[in-house]
This record gives sequence, structure tokens and C-alpha cells, in this order.
Amino acid sequence: IVIHCSYTGISIHAPPRTEKMAVDQDWSSVYPTAAAFKPASVPLPIRMGYPVKRGVPPPKEGNLELIKIPNFLHLTPPAIKKHCAALKDFCTEWPSALDSDEKCEQHFPIEIETVDYVSAGTSIRNPKARVVTLRVKLSNLNLDDHAKKKLIKLVGDRYCKDTDMLTITTDRCPLRRQNYDYSIHLLTVLYHESWKTEMWESEKTEEDMEEYIWENSCSQKNALDTLLRIKASENVSNVTEEELLASEVVKNYRNSVIALKNEGETENNVSQYKESVKKLLNIQALP
Amino acid sequence: MPGEAYCVSISDEPETLYKRLSLLVKGHDKAVLDSYEYFAVLAAKELGISVEKVHKPPKKIERLTLLKSVHIYKKHRVQYEMRTHYMCLELKYLTSSTAAVYLEYVQRNLPEGVAMEVKKTKIEKIPEHIQEPVWDTLPQVEETEVKS
Repeated sequence: IVIHCSYTGISIHAPPRTEKMAVDQDWSSVYPTAAAFKPASVPLPIRMGYPVKRGVPPPKEGNLELIKIPNFLHLTPPAIKKHCAALKDFCTEWPSALDSDEKCEQHFPIEIETVDYVSAGTSIRNPKARVVTLRVKLSNLNLDDHAKKKLIKLVGDRYCKDTDMLTITTDRCPLRRQNYDYSIHLLTVLYHESWKTEMWESEKTEEDMEEYIWENSCSQKNALDTLLRIKASENVSNVTEEELLASEVVKNYRNSVIALKNEGETENNVSQYKESVKKLLNIQALP
Repeated sequence: MPGEAYCVSISDEPETLYKRLSLLVKGHDKAVLDSYEYFAVLAAKELGISVEKVHKPPKKIERLTLLKSVHIYKKHRVQYEMRTHYMCLELKYLTSSTAAVYLEYVQRNLPEGVAMEVKKTKIEKIPEHIQEPVWDTLPQVEETEVKS
């Protein structure tokens, strides 16, 4: 309330509301919603701004800096607790049986990731909001050996071998619901196509194989050939191929060759290969 | 205090489950983001949501160098910079109603000049049509000969 005399130009202002405020008042009724900073309603001696030379920052009366910055006076801890107590009725509990990530994955293997964007501007839409990412572990899908290899070949870069995770990212449709339906459709098609065996798949050559298989390879033929010739020169009775294959030395050799080809050359693998070749050809003398 | 009773209707549709909810808040003023972090963490605790972690990715500064004068004077320039501070809040294990309530509360009280990105990770069962390959159940169709 201001009493102003237009003749003399004198105005008498009423004391600000802060003088009448009790210390234990209900603050959430002073600032129930987000509002600008009113120096006459906030009983705090705040100073804000760049200090005058050899002085202090300016006081709160008529301080534009305090009005510009967003304040959280309507969100004091008691006010937040009151709001949450009223909102608690609308919340539901998380099922207690799913308390770890592994259990979630066991019962709900598919993960769908979507992003929402909130910002101030002329438009509330954001074109990035329609992207949907679907992630699933292949061990949770019902696939047999051939189907899994075919799926990995079909999918290419989207499969990560270390985590056994297939990631499908869709953003070709304008709406999020459409992108989600499309990603589920892709998963369905991949799954069913990988179970089919086409006629041309029987022409798979050694270069197409994902991992090295020792049976019916040059390494097996050479090893057996060499061993048969050794046995023939020593004039031992005809040992059959199956017996040779079942013998320890050949099995050792097979394991070391498979390890070398599949896992690459490590110190362990190479030394294992050396030992197995020495045992196979019976040359223990060399270091 | 209003005397009317608020009707809380409970529907029977199964709730979607969110394994993780990641809120990334971006702003120009670090103090505003700090206050907002306190508010969001307290709200999550009051509503019974488990907070996995709160971390602050480093700020990004975008700088521009423009000519100071309207015409000529190429050697005299002025530099502006825009600082964006980030704050990431990760929540675990929410149902869709809890997530809707929390997000609406937190987004309605988002201060001016602050933006938010919410990444939701929903978990689902494998749909029925992917349980078994469909080729086993289809009736045998005779292969039609290709007419050349």
C-alpha cells in the first residue's frame, strides 16, 4: 500500500510483508508455485551482483539479477515431501521377484530403448524422438546352430560377439510406434529366415566357415597321410584311420590346430602346437 | 485443503516395466542444475524410486569469434562463448505408472532455460510369433515349377 501526494510528490510506503512474517510460518503457502523473486515476500537478506569498488554486492531491493535467475523457493524440502505424499497414491510398486538385472533378463529378454526430449522453444516436437533401439541376447532366442550362424551372417555389424547382443536401431518411420512395430517385424523376419535352409547354402565353402573345423580338412589329411607312411615304413600291421584318429597324439594335435586357427597366435597356443607336433612325429630330442 | 475425494481408477492392463530411466539435464547455469539435482533426488527418494547414480558430465563450451565493427576493422574482433553444463540422473526399476508420475512431476518443475532428455529402457518378453519357427506349423505346399 502506497500513500502518494501528487502535490508535494511525497510517497509513504507500507512496511514490506517480511516484517510481519512469523519464523515458523508455512512457507509453501507463500510460494506455492514457481514465481518470480519478490524482495518484499522473501525474508532473507540476500545480496547478488558484482560488488561496487571496495564495497559489497547490491541488496535485494530492485535487484534484477535475483529476478532473472530461476529460483527454487517453491520447492523447499517440506514442500517436495508434501507433493510426493499426495502423488504416492498414483505410483505402483516394482515386482519384488525381479530384483536383479539377471532375473530381468531371464524373464524379459528384449530391451526397447526410446528417448524423449523436453526443451523450451517454438515447437515441442523433436525429430530425434522417433528413434527406437531394440536389444536382445541371441542365447535367449530359440535358435539351433545353423540358424544362429545364418542370423549372425544376415545381421552383420549389428551383432556384438563379446556380449552376444543383437542391436536393431530403426528410425525410418515418422512415428515412434511405427518404428517399434518395424523393429519387431525385422526381428521376426530374421528369426524365421535363419531357420530356413536354402538350396544354395549347401555350396558353403571353407572360406565361408565362421570357425575352423578340423574334420575333413587338409590338416587332418596330411597328418593321417604322414602317420600311415611312418607306420608303413616301420612295417607295423595295417593300422586303420579310425584308430589313428582316436589315438591321443592325433587328438592333441587336432586341439592345438583348432586353438591356433580360432583364437589366433598366443604364446600358449604356439607352444602347445609345438608339443603336439613333437609327440606326433616322435621327435623329443629337439628343444 | 479441498474436501472433494479424488477418484483413483485402477485399470487391469499389465504395466510396462522400465529397467532404467536416464535423465540428462542441460543448462547454462551450474547453480540452477545443482538445485534441480537436489530436488530430483529428493523426489525420487520420497516416491520410493532407487537412484542408481548421479554424475555430472564435463561442460561443453561453444565459442564464436565475430567482427567487432559493422564495416572493415578486421583486426578487431569480439568473442562469445556458450557454456552448457550437464547433469545425469540414472534411476532403476520403475513401472510405467511410477515413471509417468515421476516424470510429469519433475518436468513440470523444470526451470526456465533448462532442457532434458529422458532415455527409457523398457523390458519385454519375447513375442509369441518368435517362440517357434513358423515353417514347422505351415501346411506342406507343393513346390510350383519355375516357368522359364
